[in-house]
Amino acid sequence: MSEFLGPLGAGGNVPSRQQTRVAAFLVSAHGALARQLAFAQPGYLKAGWQAELNAQLYRESEIVSLLLRATSWVPDPALAYLFARWEMTWLPQSIDGIPERTLSRIVDLSTLAHALHAAIRPAALLPVEANAEDPFVSALRRIEFESGRMLQAQILFLKGQDLKPFRRSVSAALEERHAQVRRLWSEMLEEIGVSVREG
Amino acid sequence: MPFLAHGSYRIRYELDGPANAPAYVLVNGLTQYAELWGAYRDALLARHFRVATFDLLGQGASDKPGLFISQEDQVAALHLLIGELDDGPVFLSGISFGGLIALRYAIAHSQRLSGLVPMSCFAELTPQLLLLGNALRTGLILGGTGYLQDLLLPMNLSDAWLKPLLNNLDAVKRQGWLVNDVYALQNLMESFLDFEPITPRLPSISVPTMILNGEFDFLTPRSLHETLRTHIPNSSLVIIPEAYHAFTLEKPALTADLLARFAEDVMAGRWHGDGGVWIAPQEAGGPLTPFPAGYDHLRAIPTPGKTS
Repeated sequence: MSEFLGPLGAGGNVPSRQQTRVAAFLVSAHGALARQLAFAQPGYLKAGWQAELNAQLYRESEIVSLLLRATSWVPDPALAYLFARWEMTWLPQSIDGIPERTLSRIVDLSTLAHALHAAIRPAALLPVEANAEDPFVSALRRIEFESGRMLQAQILFLKGQDLKPFRRSVSAALEERHAQVRRLWSEMLEEIGVSVREG
Repeated sequence: MPFLAHGSYRIRYELDGPANAPAYVLVNGLTQYAELWGAYRDALLARHFRVATFDLLGQGASDKPGLFISQEDQVAALHLLIGELDDGPVFLSGISFGGLIALRYAIAHSQRLSGLVPMSCFAELTPQLLLLGNALRTGLILGGTGYLQDLLLPMNLSDAWLKPLLNNLDAVKRQGWLVNDVYALQNLMESFLDFEPITPRLPSISVPTMILNGEFDFLTPRSLHETLRTHIPNSSLVIIPEAYHAFTLEKPALTADLLARFAEDVMAGRWHGDGGVWIAPQEAGGPLTPFPAGYDHLRAIPTPGKTS
């Protein structure tokens, strides 16, 4: 089992079956974030930081749109089951130690977004020989790069002074979300012949 | 791949060489990973040392805490690793951020060490270093690990090292990019947000200490190493000629030889940390020469000096 996608086609492209499975996972994850961000938005912004919510909603939507167009999709019967399983994982969870419901909801959304933006590195799956001009290859690189930038909103919020009284609860919730996301990601990759490196 | 457990986190480490041999423990710089010490492992094993390397928390194959990594946690991880060694002599060396962790360890556990080698290191954040660190962090945030590497490579390595690799820099950067994650590097950088200078605590380091500084180190210049030399009682400063901040990557044969000679001299009772300033040879095995008397070793040009 390789740490990278492939073996690549003659044009340096990722096999369609792998493209389909990876893209489906990312569409499910970023689509879930987009939906949750849409519901988290107030009708009118009341604070400066809420502008970031709006920006993230459209960046997540852009990722979904990009994958839908850049992926060489093939039929994959397992996706019905997998999609249901992934979607269950993205559902909101209550945070132990944060009784206030709205705050708990925002922390949960932030921990999920942190995990998806930080722990999922799709570009790191690409072998050196991958064709940089291939749309799927380009999409994975763009998603990883954008994820690193979007992650900053979660880092600022989760590390911020407002959550200092709940730091232990926030850290525990974040580690749990990371573990969930890493487990699903590595299981999905193993099913298409890719092993995930430790760390 | 063995791991140590620090609370719920796992620390990946590697031990090579005979269990009863004197040990060298090597601590990575901030953007590094344990495999970069490969040449040192080979050279020190050939000189009959045991070699311990590891990934710091947040690096490589060690766990990467999501939000916070304190420097105290890194010291605790290092303490766990040194606890895996026998009771024989332990020499500790670290580069840059790893040098700072080694200094912190030596302050807390001097009695466990036989010798200390901080390299390209610092005990306090000068305005230049603080602002450079902030700029590098912003670079990481806006441009990712690749952009941080793009900034660090020309800052920390010589033209002579870079020139033959100019058309292949992506390959040089790739492993570091693969094993290190943006959020984890950011957490390592942000462990400096509440940093307090450790200079006042340096005098408690009682072990023989050889301080290594590249002649042309831009990131941590001579003055930062001078702080170490003047505050660590049993120390000497050795200047690596024509070297930059990352001389451990650029001159592994010379640096590994200096590490081995230092430990051999300490164990043989030949080494004296008299606050001296020395110039390392150009090549491994050559003699160290004293910095010319009457010249200021803090200057880049041989100016008659005010410092002793």
